[in-house]
Amino acid sequence: MARKETVNTLVALLATFPIVFFLSLLFEGIDRKIHARMQKRIGPPIIQPFYDFIKLFNKERIVPVTAASGIFTAVPIIAAAVSILGAAIPIANLIAGTSIVGDLILVLYLLVMSSVMVMIGGSSSGNPYGAVGFSRKMTMIIAYEIPMLISIASLSFNPCFSLAYYDIVSTQIRMKSLLVFTRLSMAVAAATFLLCIPAAADVVPFDISEAKTEIIHGSLIEYGGPYLALIKLAKAASNFALTFLAATLFFYLPVLFEGYVSLGLGGALFLCLVTALIFMLFTITVPRTIFARLKIGQAFKFYWLIPLALSMLCVALSIVGL
Amino acid sequence: MADESDDAKEIKADYTRLRVPFGPVHPALKEPISLKVTVRKEEILDVDIRLGHVHRGIEALAENRNLIQTLYLVERICGICPHSHTTCFTQALEEISGINPSERALYLRTLIFELERIHSHLLILGLMSYEIGFDTLFMFCWRVREEVLDLFEGITGNRVHHAMNTIGGVRWDLTPHLVEKVNDSLKKIEKSGKYIYDMFQDKTVEKRLCEVGVLSYNEARELCIVGPSARGSGVSMDVRRDYPYAAYSELKDSFSVVLRDGADAYARTEVRIFELLESINLIRTILDELPNGSISMEESVLKLMRKIPEGETVSMVEAPRGELLYFVKTNGKEGLRRLKVRTPTFINVLGLKPMLIGGEIADIPVTLASIDPCIGCANRITVIDEDKGETRVINSENLRWRGKKQ
Repeated sequence: MARKETVNTLVALLATFPIVFFLSLLFEGIDRKIHARMQKRIGPPIIQPFYDFIKLFNKERIVPVTAASGIFTAVPIIAAAVSILGAAIPIANLIAGTSIVGDLILVLYLLVMSSVMVMIGGSSSGNPYGAVGFSRKMTMIIAYEIPMLISIASLSFNPCFSLAYYDIVSTQIRMKSLLVFTRLSMAVAAATFLLCIPAAADVVPFDISEAKTEIIHGSLIEYGGPYLALIKLAKAASNFALTFLAATLFFYLPVLFEGYVSLGLGGALFLCLVTALIFMLFTITVPRTIFARLKIGQAFKFYWLIPLALSMLCVALSIVGL
Repeated sequence: MADESDDAKEIKADYTRLRVPFGPVHPALKEPISLKVTVRKEEILDVDIRLGHVHRGIEALAENRNLIQTLYLVERICGICPHSHTTCFTQALEEISGINPSERALYLRTLIFELERIHSHLLILGLMSYEIGFDTLFMFCWRVREEVLDLFEGITGNRVHHAMNTIGGVRWDLTPHLVEKVNDSLKKIEKSGKYIYDMFQDKTVEKRLCEVGVLSYNEARELCIVGPSARGSGVSMDVRRDYPYAAYSELKDSFSVVLRDGADAYARTEVRIFELLESINLIRTILDELPNGSISMEESVLKLMRKIPEGETVSMVEAPRGELLYFVKTNGKEGLRRLKVRTPTFINVLGLKPMLIGGEIADIPVTLASIDPCIGCANRITVIDEDKGETRVINSENLRWRGKKQ
């Protein structure tokens, strides 16, 4: 019996990778559709990202003469792999109902890794715009990554939490309450994390590193065909992972339902995905619809003024036990 | 000699400088212009501007055609302000031949002219918001612009190249039904125009436009910058007021010249938004005061064309982008001896250098859009020798010499 369950779990875990692939592209499609509707456009069909992916994959591979070809070609594959892995870990943890201490740090590391990979790919392309994109992305990472990491790390300051993903989810189940409502510090942490998502997802107003009208997509400038498809997949997967993390870490909605057990794993996952979708709407789709792009200095100032201050506040509150 | 080579070495070793090619093909540019920008980190140190990628030889072409054909040819100089070009050209021909179009024709010309100004300004406001990454406003502006294009279609039958002007008048008349339609659309456009103004006062938009691409009053005077770009720097000039043409002398009390002292991209944008609203008022006055009468001469256009004597004149209009100047010299045999077109962008491009230097890379698209460049209008004969990497600009003397040789 136990063995059968183990096999089932294993199959489910293996299935998370295609599921992540499917969900992240689907999320991107929904994002594009809502974005278009908000601009009074019809917009592409929701499965457009799948079409794009397939079409790009069938295109020619072009490596510029000036590029360091080894790095240039390896980088998209690594970026896609790490961000899919980063997105799969939380889902796999939910399915398996267990996790290792420190996996939250691993997930965040994997998500940054995919940005860094794209950045390196841009700088290895030998294009001056790639270099400008590199320096801008580097600045942005310094700006948003610190508050983001602090907000996650501050979870472990609480006595009953650790840096294991499933621990935090199960604590929410035990306390029958969303994490944001348990303590003031957690609400601040959630706010910080959500504020950092637009920068991590590279959307307007923080898409400075790949500003289309300024530096022609920065790091992505020389990429095309299968490489571009992989990078787009990496971005979609990391956006999905970020919103899914926010939805499950701070707002694990299934606990609000009385018969939590009757909801089942499928129901709980579905509810989490819906929450993630709503977060994506408010942290990615809405900002990129209603804002203009900031300049690098302005964005940096914003992140070091508000989210960083918030994350510091969060640490301070955690220490005094609020 | 030794010193020179040392200098060269020093420059070579300055790795902090990066030369970024901006164009001729770039997503921020709707038409090809090439800027070679030298930057240190994000700061712009030097700019080198090159035109000539879309030279079409229209002036030379015009000299081989008759006047009516040229009228439709000059309309093709620009796809955004074709009516300005034809008005300027017909005005010149009418001056040479002494034809006086009827009042109604002049009013209708002015009407299309102002509609064109609205459409052009909406277009650049949209592009401006696109350059700063505000796609929603871009979509909105262009959606409003559709309204104007539909009006063009209703009045003239064409959305872009209206072909409204002809020698001695205009080709299409306004029916009462059309007047009503124009009034309805104007209401919508006015509402949207005010909304666009509100949107441009948004914090993130202001942050991107204020203090960007500053062109002081004196610089604007020295470089003879024209149009909204000049008015944004506080230079009070408007051909409509200074040298009235078409029906503007009768309408001079119905519009005011919008001036701003900000001298930055935001001021230039603001000038455009208010000019748009001014134009709406002006069109309302035109519709109210529209005189009766015929819209064109009784004689056919071909007969009129044959009567045009030899002569030369300069004609000016205030195109949406600024002063547009034509020098027309007819040969008395239905054709032209010389046509010289000076478009506003040709002058305003000069202002780009002082605007850009000292700014950031992020400001290049904004600054470029703020002068509302129409590159297709501004290209002159430039020979680019790809093999040698040389660029030669052929001036008039050189041209004359080439002409003699043939």
